[in-house]
Amino acid sequence: MKISKRLLLLGLIAAALVMASLGAHPALAAGAAAGFDPKAVSDMTGFDPTKYENPSGEVVKIGVLAPFSGDAASVGQLYWATSAWVAADINKRGGIMVDGKKKKIALIKGDTMGKPATTKQAVEKLCLQDKVDVLWGTSGSHLTAIIQAEAAKYNKLHLNSHSLSDNLMEGKSFTPYTFQYIWPTYSVGNTLAKYYASRKERKFYILDQDYVFGHELAESFKAGLKQYVPDAQIVGEDYHPLFNKDFAPYLTKVKASGAEVIFTGDWMPDSSNLIKQSRQMGINTPIAGIFLDDINALIAVGPEGSKGMVFASQMLINYQDGIQAKWHEAWKTWPAPYNTALYEWLGSTTGSYVESLYWLLDVMQRAGATAPDKVIKAWEGDEWLGLIGEKLTMRACDHRVVRDTYVTEFVSPNKWYQDCAYLDQLVTIPAEFVTLAPPKDSERCK
Amino acid sequence: MKRHLLWLMAALAVLIVFPFIFGPLQTNLMVRFAIEALFAVSLNLLLSFTGLLSFGHALYFGVGAYGAALILTHLEGIPLVLAVLLSGLAAALVGLLLSPLLVRVRATAFTMLTLAFGQLLYVLCSKFREVTGGEDGIMGWTTPPLRLPGVFSLDVTQPLYIYFFALGLSGLGILAMWYFTKTPMGSVMISIRDNQKRVDYLGYQVVLTKAVIFCLSGFFAGLAGAIYAVFNNLVSVGGVLHIMVSFQPLMAILVGGIGTFFGPILGSGLLLMLEEATQAYPELAQMISGLIFIAVVLFLPGGAISFGARLRGWWQKRAYLRKAREIAA
Repeated sequence: MKISKRLLLLGLIAAALVMASLGAHPALAAGAAAGFDPKAVSDMTGFDPTKYENPSGEVVKIGVLAPFSGDAASVGQLYWATSAWVAADINKRGGIMVDGKKKKIALIKGDTMGKPATTKQAVEKLCLQDKVDVLWGTSGSHLTAIIQAEAAKYNKLHLNSHSLSDNLMEGKSFTPYTFQYIWPTYSVGNTLAKYYASRKERKFYILDQDYVFGHELAESFKAGLKQYVPDAQIVGEDYHPLFNKDFAPYLTKVKASGAEVIFTGDWMPDSSNLIKQSRQMGINTPIAGIFLDDINALIAVGPEGSKGMVFASQMLINYQDGIQAKWHEAWKTWPAPYNTALYEWLGSTTGSYVESLYWLLDVMQRAGATAPDKVIKAWEGDEWLGLIGEKLTMRACDHRVVRDTYVTEFVSPNKWYQDCAYLDQLVTIPAEFVTLAPPKDSERCK
Repeated sequence: MKRHLLWLMAALAVLIVFPFIFGPLQTNLMVRFAIEALFAVSLNLLLSFTGLLSFGHALYFGVGAYGAALILTHLEGIPLVLAVLLSGLAAALVGLLLSPLLVRVRATAFTMLTLAFGQLLYVLCSKFREVTGGEDGIMGWTTPPLRLPGVFSLDVTQPLYIYFFALGLSGLGILAMWYFTKTPMGSVMISIRDNQKRVDYLGYQVVLTKAVIFCLSGFFAGLAGAIYAVFNNLVSVGGVLHIMVSFQPLMAILVGGIGTFFGPILGSGLLLMLEEATQAYPELAQMISGLIFIAVVLFLPGGAISFGARLRGWWQKRAYLRKAREIAA
């Protein structure tokens, strides 16, 4: 076949036009392999979360929704240290290119106090008074449900960093403004059940917080066991109030039940108190959970008390260079309350907070905008490589992340801490075993 | 009288233009003020006018709030005002049911019993997840519009309309309670506070009067709870039945002025303002409010409402001393 010069020229022009139009798409313009770039992290020497100050001028405002006071104030500190880190890093790089200019990041606290009514007030203040661009948080699915509803009401983007309930993104609860970064309870249940399929333990005692997340998590774990460990036994099941002060009555029942594993979804401060009180009572039954990375609690029970605990997470950092080295170096000068071992390295919880924010800001930069509709469009279906190089896919129809998950058994000695057992080898559970199917009742997912 | 009327008219005018001048955030703050003021005045009926200290008033507030949430969730198409009034009646019914036990005790025993009942309902609602939603609570129901057929239909999920709805209901509630204190039965109520035995000897029905007061106080606390539910579109045990919910109006009464009718309203406003002012320092907020509470109890036992009189007294004393010094010189 003979190709004329004119045809060749036309073909070249057409190809150039196609390339140019593809290049105009923000996601493709930035290259196919979007993700966290450890080399791009600024020199963070001198960074101190207690001295973080918002930049002046035009900024991207992030409303940080967390319990900054009350029983779970320690969780608020985790949120603050990590969000301040990401904001300071991005600001040192000059900000992100959105709305036609480079904008730095400003953080505004919204104190939920861990209570529903206060959460609603905090969101209202962030949206109406502070006029934030994004809401980020929080811990507690019942509180996140409120944030979701309010975010949709005020047309604000909401990144759910740490509420796992399966229901949040289903049925009437779904709103296009919210993205659930964290893994859902279904994935937790299946991750741990799959892990225990290859182990000898068969007697489990479920001890969870008495709210939607605790109950859903228990159901997910039971369903997972039924599928992967059919001969497993649930020898007891209890639900305690959030921010419980005394675990003794529950632990006494655990002891009497002959359980080989305590399964819990408790988060700080409950997880920390459960760990400490169980060991103080002489109950050394291994605990399996997803928020067991309060290093201060692990150190309190020592290597013997923390050994054998099974820790599952959506993201576990098992390297000490890159961002870990920079975080660790900066941490050495941090004052109270950030000068404890809990902040020494990026753990599963802190690492996840950091990862979720880096992803959000990267998506905003690729969208080239802060407007919710543009960010939503850029994020739906987005593929991104996370802090450990893991592939994260934001499923377009229900805004949940498809990802591999990880399990580890705490051992001592380890490369992280001398005074307690901690992670060493990671077991990867592939996404195909732990991914929650898109909701059947959703028109968007059909 | 004329001056009072003028003041009242001016206050009403300010309240009417308030949401148009300030934004929705401040308007929402006023809604909270209306709810808390009504709740505090309902408790004040027991504390300041009957001499009964209750540590479990959240019981009525919670019943009203859960009542409204359950009615609006399960009875589709029910008029909003009817749902709110039924919730208040449910709280009054609880007051009636508890009155055979509560009317027979006074002082510490009464306080402890109310605390026990309040906590009992808190635990029951926490455990009865199927109905109350437990710690998660009930949320997301569709709130019907405030409707007068053929005249208006207002969407009370909008800050402007919930403002007028909450302020109107709270205002009417407070007015009704104020009126009650001026009735003969209100006088008997105050007499019971001052000397229950003498009132009994005089032939008045102490037990019955107390039962009526419980029902009335419960009704208005329940009404406040119902407005809270409509406003927040959310009811949870922590938010409406927690022990701190019982202490909140108590603080408002003590800060505003115990023994007065309008002190609790002032106290509610002051506490809300304090809460807003300390929002930027969440770690210090509780400590600051605690310190202010201690300061009021120590230096202004009559509450903030007595501040003007105290200031006047201090000024008069100062003037008298100056004059005395001049005479002596």
